[in-house]
Amino acid sequence: MQNLDIISVNLWQILISLANLTILFFLLKKFLYKPVTKMLEERRTQIDKDYSDAASAKQSAEAKDAELTERLAGAKAEAEGIVKEAADIAKARGDKIVEEARATADGIIRQAEEDAELERKRVGETIKEQIVDVSTALAEKMLEREVNADDHKALIDDFISKIGDE
Amino acid sequence: MGAVLPLIFGMVLKILFNPASEGISISGALIYFTIPMPLQNLPITESQVNSALVVITIFFLCLYFTHGLSVKANLKRQIIAEWIVKQTQSLVKTNMSDYFAGFAPFVAAIMGLSAFSSLLALLGLYAPTSDINIVGGWAILVFVLITYYKMKCGPLHYVKSFGDPVPFLSPLNIISEVATPISMAFRHYGNVLSGAVISVLVATGLQGLSNIIYSLLPKALERVLSNVPILQIGLPAILSIYFDVFSGCLQAFIFAMLTMLYVASGFPEEDYFARKAKKLAKSKNIK
Repeated sequence: MQNLDIISVNLWQILISLANLTILFFLLKKFLYKPVTKMLEERRTQIDKDYSDAASAKQSAEAKDAELTERLAGAKAEAEGIVKEAADIAKARGDKIVEEARATADGIIRQAEEDAELERKRVGETIKEQIVDVSTALAEKMLEREVNADDHKALIDDFISKIGDE
Repeated sequence: MGAVLPLIFGMVLKILFNPASEGISISGALIYFTIPMPLQNLPITESQVNSALVVITIFFLCLYFTHGLSVKANLKRQIIAEWIVKQTQSLVKTNMSDYFAGFAPFVAAIMGLSAFSSLLALLGLYAPTSDINIVGGWAILVFVLITYYKMKCGPLHYVKSFGDPVPFLSPLNIISEVATPISMAFRHYGNVLSGAVISVLVATGLQGLSNIIYSLLPKALERVLSNVPILQIGLPAILSIYFDVFSGCLQAFIFAMLTMLYVASGFPEEDYFARKAKKLAKSKNIK
């Protein structure tokens, strides 16, 4: 076994070393950089995809939210309308019922008043006749004499009209 | 597993072939056998074998790191692989330009090969980076790349660039051009080799020092202790951390940085793109 001199230039050794470096360059390129950059590329596309997915999901969620809010507002307005309408109808119906009741009551009262008036009149007439009869008989009995029929009648009418007024 | 096997193989080779040495021996790599070749014979040495083992180790490490890659990154080794790729890519992007994005694996190859080669010294193996032929090969490859990118604007542009400020300075430009790979190779090789030499010198020096101390002791004690050079504990380990780990990694980084800077600065980017745009316009006109 022999050792090389400490400085010895050898053309072939230089070439082999050059080739070694070149080979290592291609090895690294093929077995380290290519797979890693490919993986990084894949990762980037996947992240991009995730981002765009998230953005579209957010957008659709916002759209849905807006739609729901709108619908909620619509439903509220509708409900208020329905309630108001119902209240209106109920009020109108109530008013109508009250009106009818009042009209009926008025009718009844008027009828009753008319009846009462009529009755009063009739009773008055009856009483007048009875009083005339009674007073005539009473006068005939009391005086027992022929009285001027005209004077008599005037006297009695005056009397009765005074009674009727009281 | 495949990543560790080549290293074990290298250590076995070292133990089998390395003759037990006495005293200091600072020499080059061990020659296993020689292949006759034209011009010069090719000795297959430790540094050749070890650098091939490093290549195989890195290859298996790559396979291990990229095994079971998934988008969700739930493996620790995948995070390491991603870190390496991203770091080298951003390094290339900041030191060069987007045009050189394909350089990331090359820079990683230089860094990995150089750092792992220097770190082989930790396993007691001969570090291939302390062989001028190994580092010289890398430097020549870098020189080829520099020249290739300088030639991108055509050979005329390349020749013209030598008389850049004034034609009178062109010899200096040519010298500096040739000096680039040589300086790169010698910087790396010199740093690693000098670290190894200093380590050996310090270790033998400490052995001698401890022998002197033992000689002051009684004879019987000296005979027992002389095989235990007590002073060799401590300092060589710290030196090894500095020269093998720190300096090795630093030189790998420097070599990669210089590669990027030389290639990027040698490439006349503006001229190239202007030329390309002009060509495109011309071809459109013809059509």
